[in-house]
Amino acid sequence: MSSLHDPLPPQPAPPVEPEASLQSAAASTAQVASLEFKARLLLVFMLLLLCGSALYVLYARGAFEATQKLVLMADDSEGVVIGMDLTFSGFPIGRVRRIELAEDGKARILVDVAAKDAHWLRTSSVFTLVRGIVGSTNIRAYSGILTDPALPDGAVRSVLQGDASAEIPRVISAAKELIENLNALTGSSGSVGTSLANLQILTTRLNGPGGALTVLLGSEQEAKKIILTLDRANALLTKLDGLAAKADTQMFGEKGVMPETRATIVQLNTLLGEAHTSLKKVDAVLLDAQAVSGNVKDATADLGALRGEVDANLRKIESLVNEINRKWPFARDTEIKLP
Amino acid sequence: MFWSRVISGEAGEASILQAMGRLPSYHALMTKLTLYSRLTRTGHGAVQWLIEWWRLVHLGAVLLVLTLSPSSYSAESRGVLARHIYLNTAPILLGFTVLCALVTVVITRIVLVTALSYGLSQYALQVVIRVLVLELIPLTAALFVALRCTIPDGAELTAMQASGELDDMRRRGIDPVRREVLPRVVAGMFSGITLAALSSLVALVVAYVVGYGFTVSGMAAYTRLFGQVFSPAVTLIFVLKTLLFCLAVSLIPMASALYGMRGASVRTSAEMRGLVRMFAVILLIEVASLVGNYY
Repeated sequence: MSSLHDPLPPQPAPPVEPEASLQSAAASTAQVASLEFKARLLLVFMLLLLCGSALYVLYARGAFEATQKLVLMADDSEGVVIGMDLTFSGFPIGRVRRIELAEDGKARILVDVAAKDAHWLRTSSVFTLVRGIVGSTNIRAYSGILTDPALPDGAVRSVLQGDASAEIPRVISAAKELIENLNALTGSSGSVGTSLANLQILTTRLNGPGGALTVLLGSEQEAKKIILTLDRANALLTKLDGLAAKADTQMFGEKGVMPETRATIVQLNTLLGEAHTSLKKVDAVLLDAQAVSGNVKDATADLGALRGEVDANLRKIESLVNEINRKWPFARDTEIKLP
Repeated sequence: MFWSRVISGEAGEASILQAMGRLPSYHALMTKLTLYSRLTRTGHGAVQWLIEWWRLVHLGAVLLVLTLSPSSYSAESRGVLARHIYLNTAPILLGFTVLCALVTVVITRIVLVTALSYGLSQYALQVVIRVLVLELIPLTAALFVALRCTIPDGAELTAMQASGELDDMRRRGIDPVRREVLPRVVAGMFSGITLAALSSLVALVVAYVVGYGFTVSGMAAYTRLFGQVFSPAVTLIFVLKTLLFCLAVSLIPMASALYGMRGASVRTSAEMRGLVRMFAVILLIEVASLVGNYY
């Protein structure tokens, strides 16, 4: 509104001569050489850009790739959006084209699988729909046996659903249960509370007269009995001590058992020395006997030589008889009578 | 009769005071007068506002018809059109593209590093494409074209209007809308669309290089990502938004130049009001596109 109250009239724009304007236009046209050609070039460039962009968008949307259909049946299509990927080993092999409600109330997810990647899907393939707590939902395919027959076009498969966020209520209820149990344990009437109370009584007793003995035996009287028993055991031990001193005297005194035993051992030693001498004599006797047996052995060797000589003589005589037999071949009686 | 003259501003101050002297209660009269004048002013403003918008829409419709009619492309008109198209687009194309590439490098790097630190790197390039190509580049291209081409063109037209050159044309039987306005609007739109398309392409390439490095192995994944962002609805909204941005920045300065001169009392603020209107329209288109994309 300031213009309404402006005391000064609005300044008119400086007049521009029409001729001057036309001249300037003509001059600027002249300045740019082959203007129309450049303008056309720009036009073609823009058209190319636009067409290229449109084609690239179509290509990126998968308009030019051959596909085969796959129908996935899910209980719940929450998180599934049109255009999202179906992945196999982390590689996108298809995209969701449509989601619709089937007649049985389940969600039908229509997936376009690229024909070049369709061989990864087999009749035994398993499809999962996983919703993470952070990030988008994923549809994944798993083919355990790649030698199975390929999945036919338009196959209908059900999806296994795994939902990380669906686990949360269960976890929370379990945690709640745990906390209730803890509360019940740690409450004044709970077992932990009772144990603590018992522990308190125990420490009171430990600190009281009788101490740990009262705790162990249950009452003070019993503890006193134990102490009395201990005193008696002490007296007994003192008596035992005296007894042991006497036994020592009996055993190791001047006329005790031990000196006499020592004298006996000395006598035993003497006896052993004598036995040793007797044994040496026996040894000499045995040596003599060995010499006798050596002589007998030599005599036996001489007998062997004698026998050899007799054998040689006999052979000589036999050869002599043979020779006589040869010289008297008509003799009927070949027997030779030895002298 | 008197009050009608008061409302229409024809009654002078003296006559109003004279009339007031005849009335019983001065304060009551002043209250009524203030109320009436306010209402009148509001009514005038609303009517003016409607008229201006109607003129804008009308001019747009006329220009659309002229653009589509073959008679607008005579040999002489083609020369003028070619000059405007070339002068509006060629000088700013390289600068704007380089600027876009630099901004893309910076923004992509920031988004990638941030996404990596949150363990969400798989969404980083998608965010870059959405933010840069879908939202920032069309808006920036339109504003750049407005500042460098269409607002100076509007000022040129205002000067021609002020000098009476356009009236001269009308007297000579030449339609100034066809002769002067149409080439400027078409050139502005052409420039805006070319800038947006080229910058989007450059931004996509730069984002790919920053994200994957100088290798072609990421091309398939990147194309898939791009396809996921550019769903049919998003693509339609993107195309419409870019076209409407270019139309707004080309048309509104011309309309301000043509019709802002009519009322001599508002002449000084006509250009400013045209600019404000242009920014308001751009804002409106942007908000509408955001609503369309994300709701």
